[in-house]
Amino acid sequence: MNHFPQAWGRPRDDIYGHYDASFLQSSGPNQHTQSPVVTGTSVIAVKFKDGVVVAADNLASYGSLARFTDVKRLRTFNDTTVIGFGGDVSDMQYLDRVLSSLDIKESYANDGHHLNAKNLHTYLAKVLYKRRSDFNPLWNQLLVAGTDDDGKPFLSSADLLGTTFSAPTLATGFGAHLAQPLLRRIVPDEAAVGGITQEAAVAAVKECMKVLFYRDARSLDKYSIAVVTNEGIDLKEDEKLEAQSWAFAEGIRGYGTQVS
Amino acid sequence: MVRTGYDLSNSVFSPDGRNFQVEYATKAVENGGTAIGIRCKDGVVLAVEKIITSKLLKPGTNKRIATVDKHVGVVSSGLVPDGRHFVSRARDEASSWRRFIKSPIPTSIIASRLGSYVQMYTLYSSVRPFGVTTIIGGWDSEEELPVDGQVGSGPKMGAGGKDESLRSGGPGLYMIEPSGLYWGYYGAATGKGRQVAKGELEKLNLQNGTLSLLEGVKEAARIIYVAHDDSKDKDFELEMTWISGKDGPTKGRHEEVPAKLREEAEKAAKKALEGEDEEDDSSKGDKMEE
Amino acid sequence: MAALFGQDALTDNGPGYAFSQAPSSAAGGIRERSFYPYTDNGGSTLGIAGEDFTILAGDTRSTSGYNINTRYAPKVFKIGGDDSEGTNATIILSVVGFAADGQILKERLDTIVKMYRYQHGKPMSVKACAQRLSTILYGKRFFPYYVHAILGGLDEEGKGALYSYDPVGSYEREQCRAGGAAASLIMPFLDNQVNFKNQYVPESGEGHALQERPRVPLKRKETEELVRDAFTSAVERHIEVGDGLQMLVVTKDGVEEIYSPLKRD
Repeated sequence: MNHFPQAWGRPRDDIYGHYDASFLQSSGPNQHTQSPVVTGTSVIAVKFKDGVVVAADNLASYGSLARFTDVKRLRTFNDTTVIGFGGDVSDMQYLDRVLSSLDIKESYANDGHHLNAKNLHTYLAKVLYKRRSDFNPLWNQLLVAGTDDDGKPFLSSADLLGTTFSAPTLATGFGAHLAQPLLRRIVPDEAAVGGITQEAAVAAVKECMKVLFYRDARSLDKYSIAVVTNEGIDLKEDEKLEAQSWAFAEGIRGYGTQVS
Repeated sequence: MVRTGYDLSNSVFSPDGRNFQVEYATKAVENGGTAIGIRCKDGVVLAVEKIITSKLLKPGTNKRIATVDKHVGVVSSGLVPDGRHFVSRARDEASSWRRFIKSPIPTSIIASRLGSYVQMYTLYSSVRPFGVTTIIGGWDSEEELPVDGQVGSGPKMGAGGKDESLRSGGPGLYMIEPSGLYWGYYGAATGKGRQVAKGELEKLNLQNGTLSLLEGVKEAARIIYVAHDDSKDKDFELEMTWISGKDGPTKGRHEEVPAKLREEAEKAAKKALEGEDEEDDSSKGDKMEE
Repeated sequence: MAALFGQDALTDNGPGYAFSQAPSSAAGGIRERSFYPYTDNGGSTLGIAGEDFTILAGDTRSTSGYNINTRYAPKVFKIGGDDSEGTNATIILSVVGFAADGQILKERLDTIVKMYRYQHGKPMSVKACAQRLSTILYGKRFFPYYVHAILGGLDEEGKGALYSYDPVGSYEREQCRAGGAAASLIMPFLDNQVNFKNQYVPESGEGHALQERPRVPLKRKETEELVRDAFTSAVERHIEVGDGLQMLVVTKDGVEEIYSPLKRD
């Protein structure tokens, strides 16, 4: 027992060595986030004739460690919009707070006007752009899904630099490489959206989640999927990948020492 | 009353222990449009008789019931600007609670905070008391709520785990008077028609906890109509909001009662009135044309 | 007493336990920032001023590295006008480079041009708008908008006006300009086809006696074809260009938009 109250609760120098204060950057320039810490991987989404389907798995990784396995990365707003978050989880939580306070402030007016997915996307993109311009980025890639002013399906993306773009199919992270080509095969352009049923869109998204789980080492077989239409949101947060088959793995040749 | 000088300042009691400023403020309230709140078994209804002071005001606008947080609504009777300031303070309280506690403010706590706030305006000679009596309605979620931004489901068992049989939350209704006095109520009424309204509320036997939200809406509309004195005020508009639980129509949010339902309730209210006194129903029958 | 608050009489070294001695700052040293606030979204733009019209064109592909973000992201915009759609606008702008900066730049210029009309009761001239755009860009000289902007419209005499900018606001009125990923592919083509560079009158002589082909203003139709040719060629050779071609044409009758598909490979 140490008799100096000042020492209580602090690691002993004689055992642990001097306290490493190098992270305390109170002198020198302010340090902002320079890299994400706990991260979520891909978010994928596709438009169909009445709305949008979005999906993301339930994993938050700490580097290569699968740290949290029931993380909900699809957030709803107003019962009209789903936002899928990739990237830093704490920044996602911050944005979620920003959105819930926005929701409350919007309800003050009580004038029957509600922010739709398009409005929300513009807002979030401005928040992200402001933060990147302050060199204090929110390390996320977002997909915003819902309907626009005319009630037509809306799907758009925004990232930590404030870059925005919209397309009938979108995917962040690994999904941009693996899922996007598969989704584009089904919905090549805006004109094709009208011919896609909800069932077809959901099936395509589920298939993509499976491919991502096969190939993305930072992914999980538990995922969330949301269908947004003018009727509202159908969000399922505890889905499991079905009918996995790893037979294809047998056929893989050409990595490392295994060349034929 | 003989002017004694004790009615000039907030910070001075009269020799018989009264604060006249507060009593005058209460007078201001007694002239406001009737406002009521009903605590039903599955929600809360707030309603107000909005006196139409001019034909130049657009119907359905200039709302008198305010949303303070997702799950809390406030209606007041008396000086409208005082009510607005009160709402602004309520919103600050609610959002700062969220900022620090990361969860929605319980109705009982926001009532207590606002009660204290109103009471402060009875203590100093530099301020006057609030010219409003306010009814606060809220629904404390019966579900285990995620804190803002929470990402996981939390532990499923063990310490800090969930006991499915435990339920908390539910409807809350409070009324704050200009003195800062506040109580929790089954049914609350203030404003011009409060006496009639209170009488009607008592007949509902709200303490039994059997009245449903939907019935509550009907009753609220009826009570506002009954309490309305059309020999004094020509025209009024009925404004009504409600808050239900997660499984109810508003999913735990404070919202305006849908126009269709409100009109239905108004129709029933008028009908009930006609049945009540057949001899002078001609004037009441076409009272509320919007 | 000082000895008492030292952490250990035997191994007394380094900071002790006294609160006043607790370390609160690190030894100096600046860490390098790893956040880079820019990215290149690819794509190409091109503007040509004619006798009584100006064309601004851009492909609609948006990229991140080897990925195509979307096949339809406009790079040419109407500036000013009556509403958010730019109805009755007379000025057009193209931006290529970092799309987020481009978007903000467009929105700022659009707001300024609209405010100008509210305040002065007349539309802003292209000349004034061109100067204002330069000021905006230079205003962020030390954290620039990473874009190559081209502004188009009709000047006071009704002639086609085209201004091109570098990211920090240096600008010039020109006859034609290509910007973005395929600028180096398109610009020489334009020099030859618009300004008739390296074209000479046949049989006019040898060496210094050679006569340059006289410059004549281009017709609307042939300019459009030139633009289309420039882009179909750029698509062949540059991976960041493709998907769709968007053209905005300003004439005295207003702004006309023409969209045509490009190869999506």
